Amino acid sequence: MEPVNERELVERCRRGDEGAFQELVERYKDLVFALIARTVQDRSRAEDLSQDVFLRVHRGLPYFRGEARLSTWIYRIVANVCLQDHARPKGGRHTVSLDEEAGPGQATISATDRRFGDLELRDRLEKAIARLPAHYRLVIAAHYLQGVQYEDLAEALQLPLGTVKTQLFRAKQQLRRLLETELK
Amino acid sequence: MFCDEALDAIEAIAAGELRPDGRIGDHLTSCPDCAAALEDARALERMLLARPTPRTPPQFTARTMARIRRARWRSEQFLDVGFNLAIGLVVVAIVGGVWMLLHRSGLTSVSNDAVDLFTSEAVALARRAAPSLPLYAGALALLASALGVWWWAERGTAQ
Repeated sequence: MEPVNERELVERCRRGDEGAFQELVERYKDLVFALIARTVQDRSRAEDLSQDVFLRVHRGLPYFRGEARLSTWIYRIVANVCLQDHARPKGGRHTVSLDEEAGPGQATISATDRRFGDLELRDRLEKAIARLPAHYRLVIAAHYLQGVQYEDLAEALQLPLGTVKTQLFRAKQQLRRLLETELK
Repeated sequence: MFCDEALDAIEAIAAGELRPDGRIGDHLTSCPDCAAALEDARALERMLLARPTPRTPPQFTARTMARIRRARWRSEQFLDVGFNLAIGLVVVAIVGGVWMLLHRSGLTSVSNDAVDLFTSEAVALARRAAPSLPLYAGALALLASALGVWWWAERGTAQ
């Protein structure tokens, strides 16, 4: 997105232009939803949390000073929402897995998956990811989504770039060990 | 080179961010355990890259906008109630202050006479207006209905 357009969009939103805010939701909804759905691994919860993110963006826009990019600020809100959700008690929550509700496009198994033989392997991967700490899940989800750069993630999480990379490597190390041992 | 040192670098090598040359490269060719770990890390990297992107549910934008409108309506209602409450408190404070002032300055007895006069005038007025009471009641009911319809329409728009 062009920075100028982003500034204009923010200004229009600040003036209470509902159409502008709708445009903002349209621009960022796929990234926000995918990031949250991959982190919480529950579609209906992910939709609720994604709406929470846009609600916070709406409330916070008057105070958004434009020092960071809008996308970075939104990632920061996503990170906070995901980590706060992880801290909440999970009792009685109905979960719908990502596979259950995946659309027709999602049912297409990629060539890589076929080579590994494996909806089963993918299932193991998802289970292993679910066992990671929330902040590791978040960096894994963000790094493997198109459009989220290390730099954006570091700024959003307010961590040095090196720390984000280290967290990612540790997350993958833990994931590899989980797949090797407990989930074999 | 110990296995621990090589294993620490394996994720970076699998992600293509570190070249397996020098001591690490030598160790990986001579240690079957670390070589196997590297293969697993590469397989994991491929699986993570092939992980399907969850698709946003249809009507997500519409549902989000509706939720934002509801939240805004609620906060406006909250603000309205707060404002009305503040106005009420200010009125009570002013009336209380005036009453205390009258009481302290001994003007209460004068104001009691004024109240008696006002009451008798009000009773006389009520007696004169009594025959037209059904007309006033009808007008009041009409006004109440109009206000009710306006409130309902505003509520519908806000939601």
